[in-house]
Amino acid sequence: MSTIDQATVTRVKQVVAARSDGALLSATEPHADTLQFAIEKAALRAVVEGLVNELQARFMISVGTDRRPVTGDFAILHLFSLDHEHLYVLLESPVPEKDLRIESITEIIPGANWAEREFRDAIGIHPEGHPDPRRLLLADDWPEGTYPLRRDFPYNFQPPSVENVRPQLREPPAGASVVPMGPFFPVLEEPAYWRLFVEGETIVGCDTRIFYNHRGIEKLGDSVLTYNEIPYLAERICGICGFIHSTCYCQAVEKAAGIEAPRRARYIRTIMLELERIHSHLLWLGIAGHIIGFETVLMQTWRIREPVMWLCEEISGNRKTYGMNTVGGLRRDLPNQTKPKLLETLAEVEKETIAVRNAIVGDTTLHARTKGVGALTNEWAKKICAVGPPARASGVAIDARIDHPYAAYDEVPPQIATQEAGDTWARVLVRVGELLESIRLVREALSSVPDGPICAEIKEEIPPGRVGVSVVEAPRGEAVHYVLTGGDNRPYRWRVRAPTYPNLQALPAMVSNGTIADVPITLGSLDPCFSCTERLETVDRRTNEVRVYSHAELLEISRRKARGGGTR
Amino acid sequence: MTAWLMRSFLLCLLNAALALVLSPLCEGIMRKLRAAIHSRIGPPITQPYWDLFKLLGKEDLRSAGGVVYASLPAFTLGSVLLLAALIPMGTAAPLAFAGDMIVVLYVAAMSGILVMLVGFASASPYASIGSSREMMMLLSVEPILAIALVVGAFKARTLALGGIVNWQVQNGPSISMAIGGVAFFLALQALAGKLPFDIAEADQEIMGGPLVEQSGPRLALFRWAMWTKQLVLAFLLVEVFFPWPRLGIHQLDLLMTSVKVLVVLVLVAVIDVVNPRLRIDQAMGYFLRVAFSSLAALAFAVIGK
Repeated sequence: MSTIDQATVTRVKQVVAARSDGALLSATEPHADTLQFAIEKAALRAVVEGLVNELQARFMISVGTDRRPVTGDFAILHLFSLDHEHLYVLLESPVPEKDLRIESITEIIPGANWAEREFRDAIGIHPEGHPDPRRLLLADDWPEGTYPLRRDFPYNFQPPSVENVRPQLREPPAGASVVPMGPFFPVLEEPAYWRLFVEGETIVGCDTRIFYNHRGIEKLGDSVLTYNEIPYLAERICGICGFIHSTCYCQAVEKAAGIEAPRRARYIRTIMLELERIHSHLLWLGIAGHIIGFETVLMQTWRIREPVMWLCEEISGNRKTYGMNTVGGLRRDLPNQTKPKLLETLAEVEKETIAVRNAIVGDTTLHARTKGVGALTNEWAKKICAVGPPARASGVAIDARIDHPYAAYDEVPPQIATQEAGDTWARVLVRVGELLESIRLVREALSSVPDGPICAEIKEEIPPGRVGVSVVEAPRGEAVHYVLTGGDNRPYRWRVRAPTYPNLQALPAMVSNGTIADVPITLGSLDPCFSCTERLETVDRRTNEVRVYSHAELLEISRRKARGGGTR
Repeated sequence: MTAWLMRSFLLCLLNAALALVLSPLCEGIMRKLRAAIHSRIGPPITQPYWDLFKLLGKEDLRSAGGVVYASLPAFTLGSVLLLAALIPMGTAAPLAFAGDMIVVLYVAAMSGILVMLVGFASASPYASIGSSREMMMLLSVEPILAIALVVGAFKARTLALGGIVNWQVQNGPSISMAIGGVAFFLALQALAGKLPFDIAEADQEIMGGPLVEQSGPRLALFRWAMWTKQLVLAFLLVEVFFPWPRLGIHQLDLLMTSVKVLVVLVLVAVIDVVNPRLRIDQAMGYFLRVAFSSLAALAFAVIGK
């Protein structure tokens, strides 16, 4: 564990005490790296201002909790990170049921925009003075006044469907016309609606409607599933960084409950996390190439990536969605006999990645399309609370692996690289650098994996009312999971913040004054998520006989099909 | 007289038919090459024929009404076939008597303009953006075609393409014609809609641009027109700028020309596959520089090199 400077802790306490001006209800330290303050809501904004201005705290996410069954009120919790001091600061304000309002902090922190709209939609606490209070989380036909994350709201409620509803979208400025990108668009792998306001080819503004894919995962977590079932759901949050979310959730629960995962488990988590980064960055590089029409990059990087997927399959039984994590450690060990193959594959991937890097670094057309395109300034990256490669490409040196070490990163620390330019090319360089660094990390972790158990024995029930915050550096940036433990073998509140959440909020500033041609690659350079399945199982409807096709068979069938001969 | 007319007419038909029949094959070869560079197996080289076959059998859907809109695909393909009859493809151009280099330039621009029109008429924002990009590309590329051909006309002292070809065959390579040929080749990359200049279609940005609303038989005709155009222009490039060696044996010359055309198309495909797409402003800047450089060819022609 990285050491926490007691002077910083004292300073945070001083700032909070001074800014809250007597409205401080309590100050606790649930964990060595977590400071929690309860503040009356009237003083919350002032304290936030103090944290941001005096301590350069980075806003992570807001959590709205319906505590009525326990304390009779609601609560809003703003989560901050003091990255270089390795501290989390939690500011919590009770909100009484008869006055469901709280002062908005979006003016101080532009990056809190979506978080505040989200708790408004989910539990109905209104952020007063919010600059853009339109609906964010809920579908446009969701009935007003129904808040899905309240405790008395059943998880399986189905609102009546409504005809003729539209998202509330802004009109273009005078003289500009609208070019819609989405909700379904070739380079968007997930539904998202970007309304580009253009004059000729130049972007003069844009508006967004997203959350078409909201699946109510947090609701399921605190109403239906139990602690040990949630990792499998968490893994399905994302099709690419699944292991990241299950690790992040497990770590949050482990922290809240005071369980320590065995060292071997932490090492194997590190290896799997880095393998995930390797295949995710290769995937991203391909997609980025595809977006600007460079299909050769797509085809070659995905070919390089494939053996990594096979490795993951060999280790876990699945290419993706490994199902390895559980609270307290792992369910599945890393077999020792895979080590040589792992090293061999990594050497091959490294060699080919370097070849690709050398090819793209000298490509002038590629430079023309990425240099100076979609620039995210250092100042705005901090204000919008960008994370991961987009932040690092804009000179913000944050990385959860170093700032809040987890798994085995305290013993196997990564070298992080930053770029100053903040443009798409800088993001390419940062990711390619990380890719090679991840290969080194896996090697290093492999060479020092300790023997021992892979899962801690949990003897007692997890006590209620404990808080755990965990972060994991996903390929796309920092993922945050917050868990408040509950009494019935499940969390009382589980909050997930994926890295794309803050990064997407940076997009309007990045595309503004660019051209339509730059929008897809700028968006792509943030690496928004997507998932893929490549296995097939067929059931003969007459005999109900199940036949599973092997990889080789599928390949052969598709090739035979492509050549135009034969049938299945 | 009538016999001569009949003969010309038949030769026109032959030229057009050959271009029509062979262009999907060339596209198929280009796709196969593309796949090889991608480390893919790729579709069989006959795939473009099957694509056309499938598209032609589909329902004809139109996003706008009117006779003009309905007939644009046919006119586009027709303009390309007219071009095929106007240029020498291994032999003298069958329609050479009907027009010289100037006519060829006009007819070569026609298909681009018709695609642009169909885009503007499609009532889709993507098609409009694509059409305005198409227009900008045409404006950047056409002058290069003109300069390159004018170099030939200046050297051969004739505007007839056949005359230029004959002059080339007799006088052998020259610096000015080589520069003109390179400039023409770069323009061909753009006219064929290949990367890094497939900016008007740009699937990932504007979903196919002018042709976004085209489907079924209409799309088939546009596709066919594009493939034929790249083949015909490759013939024009080879015949005017690189006609040697002429052995005088007709069949052998035709074979040589075809091989050279294939080499040109392979080059086009390779450039296509190793480049990302430029932005329209970057492409215009690029072609502006190419246009100025091709003026050098004219200068060389003036001093007789």
